[in-house]
Amino acid sequence: MKIISSYSIKGGVGKTALAVNLAYAFSEADHRTLLLDLDPQGAAAFYFRVSSAKKFNMGDTNSLSGGLRRNIRESDFPGLDIIPSSLAYRHFDIALDGMEKRRKQLRRVLEEFKDDYDTIILDCPPNITLLSENVFRASDLILVPVIPTVLSQRTLEQLDRFFSDEELPLDRLCPFFSMVQKRNKLHRETMAELTAAYPQFLKTTIPLSVDVEKMGLRRMPLLAYSKASDAAQAYRTLCSEIISLQENVCD
Amino acid sequence: MLRVLSQADKNSAVWVLPPGLIPRSLGTTWKVVEQPKTVTFCTFYDTFEWGVWFSGHLLYNDGTEYILQTLTSGWPGTVECTEQGDNIRFWYDFSGKLMRQRLREYLGLRGLEAVATAVFTTQCCDLRNESGKIVCRIEWSCIADEPGRDPYFTSCKILPLRGYEDQTSHVVYRLVELGATPPGTGPFSLLLQRAGCTPRVYTLKPSFGISFETPAREAVGRIIATILTIAESNIAGITADLDTEFLHDYRICLRKARSLLGLVKNIYPLGETEQFRNQLGELTRATNYLRDLDVCALTYHEHLVNLPEPLHKGLSLIFSRLLTERKREQRSVSTNLRNKSASNTIQGIIAEISIVSGHVESAAFQQIGPLVFRGILRRYRKIKTIAQTINIESTDEKLHQLRIECKKLRYLMEFFNEILPSDKSQLLQRQLRRLQGVLGDCNDSSVQQAFLLGWWHKQQADTDSTLTMGGLIALLHQRQQEARLRINKMLSEFTDNKTAATFKHIFKLQAEATGK
Repeated sequence: MKIISSYSIKGGVGKTALAVNLAYAFSEADHRTLLLDLDPQGAAAFYFRVSSAKKFNMGDTNSLSGGLRRNIRESDFPGLDIIPSSLAYRHFDIALDGMEKRRKQLRRVLEEFKDDYDTIILDCPPNITLLSENVFRASDLILVPVIPTVLSQRTLEQLDRFFSDEELPLDRLCPFFSMVQKRNKLHRETMAELTAAYPQFLKTTIPLSVDVEKMGLRRMPLLAYSKASDAAQAYRTLCSEIISLQENVCD
Repeated sequence: MLRVLSQADKNSAVWVLPPGLIPRSLGTTWKVVEQPKTVTFCTFYDTFEWGVWFSGHLLYNDGTEYILQTLTSGWPGTVECTEQGDNIRFWYDFSGKLMRQRLREYLGLRGLEAVATAVFTTQCCDLRNESGKIVCRIEWSCIADEPGRDPYFTSCKILPLRGYEDQTSHVVYRLVELGATPPGTGPFSLLLQRAGCTPRVYTLKPSFGISFETPAREAVGRIIATILTIAESNIAGITADLDTEFLHDYRICLRKARSLLGLVKNIYPLGETEQFRNQLGELTRATNYLRDLDVCALTYHEHLVNLPEPLHKGLSLIFSRLLTERKREQRSVSTNLRNKSASNTIQGIIAEISIVSGHVESAAFQQIGPLVFRGILRRYRKIKTIAQTINIESTDEKLHQLRIECKKLRYLMEFFNEILPSDKSQLLQRQLRRLQGVLGDCNDSSVQQAFLLGWWHKQQADTDSTLTMGGLIALLHQRQQEARLRINKMLSEFTDNKTAATFKHIFKLQAEATGK
């Protein structure tokens, strides 16, 4: 079982669109996939028409994993399940803070699902908290959508520094360019600069697309209603790149 | 590809629906999104013995391929294997390893024939809630005799979604309100019934419903009538040439009936007994040549494995000629059988033998038990006497005589199995079957050698075939020698003091105790 998180300190960079479409692409590739919506806004679950999670006790590891398990919802698409978000997740940090080995609890909880799923995708809220630290330690890959702009460049640097300071495994950090406008000169220059500075940037880029924005209206992954669009193809290519990256790591 | 009404998904639940209930009937509570319908015309196959059905499977062709699927409580389950093909009759006509393996077990030498056809219409439906989320899926299925006809069986399979179990319960509740019922015995008994057939157990060893005290003539008459009825039921299969087992079973039944008339004496007037025996012997002899050809033809695959590759061309030529000869002989036998004379003869014997009054022969009204027990003991002693003269160098004729005596004893014990003490006699019968097995192997090899050599002398031989014929005869001779070596051991076991004491204990004492 592999855990992949969609994370950025910055909001509005395409984290949820990535998590939703990547989960769909993995299930299309015959991976039994679970999408865990950790963002209290609950946008990922909204895209799948799934209502909020029912309240559960987060006091210890067992009740946390039991509560998550009870909230698993089968999506409309084969091989893809969701654990919807809940406003109660705003207390995740407090719950984790009260546990032993508080930075590693999420991994322990998610290990409980290893017989049921091949891939778990985490849609994370845009901040650095104790939950984020748990995500960093739980994930095999941390996908960081980066819009090729100065502000995004700055947040990537901040994240990189945080990983170094906290001695977190930098090789798990996988930035990629999101919402790219190829005709935009600033985008092209920033991409060149960032790729030189961070060689671990994934090759696939996700274009800025109105099709992605329509997900809110269609309430389903882009890949389900616009299979042939450029953005849908890009998400699929990204999924393939991640699978081969994982295979190479395993080799 | 259709997987008719498959119940392989352990989470799914099946409900039988009343006529006229359609997916839209659930539209008042959920938004029903209907997927396109799939219509499939299926032909179901089985053998005369219903080998597929009784193995707990269905074999059908959905227009594109053959599908072997499990059948549990009348409902189809897991698809075990599939294969494309045309005009398939026997297990070896398939090429897939698993399909061959399974069907070899279920069919044996039996041939497949179409037993029923049906049109399956399936349609998947999504039930969505007010947010448009799918909360339950349903697979609607209908079975009809022909396309466009009203279905005679409608069912649905409910496929729950994880996390929406309460909705699934709601769907079930609503369906029950609309007349749905639990799965019951499934649609296939009904499907076969509409096709005019019902799977029935076929056996050459039926129960005859006799007891130790049944009058001898009544018991023998009942057994012969039952066996000859089975013989007659095979005639249609022989004339249609569905498989070689029809002729095999037909001959066994005739031989058994003929043998029984000789084994329990003084029940019918001597003249009648001889007349029946002659008639049955004549019917059997009329099929001897075809059976010899069948036995040879059935060994093709075995010889293909045992003979070296350079002889395969010759083997193919020999068997091609054998099959041509078989085809000719089969036509001739069929013509004779079709003109009803065999059937009439059999019916005539059954009618005569079933007449209760009129016979006043000495043993006719004696209890069958003591007669049979004394007969069994007499046969066993005769085998013991012959056994003393058997050694590794005994002639084929001598071994054949031993085999015939063993067969008579086995027939007696099988016919009257119902009145034998079960545990001890089962053990004796097992020993006897083992001995008969090796005697049979030895005799078959000897008969096949003689038959092939006799037949071959009438053929115009080419070099390839002649070489192979040499190889075949050598193989059969070797098999005969191997069987001979095993005979002595089996025979010693069957005639040793312990076995003799068991025979005496069961059959002599009981016959004396009750036969006064």
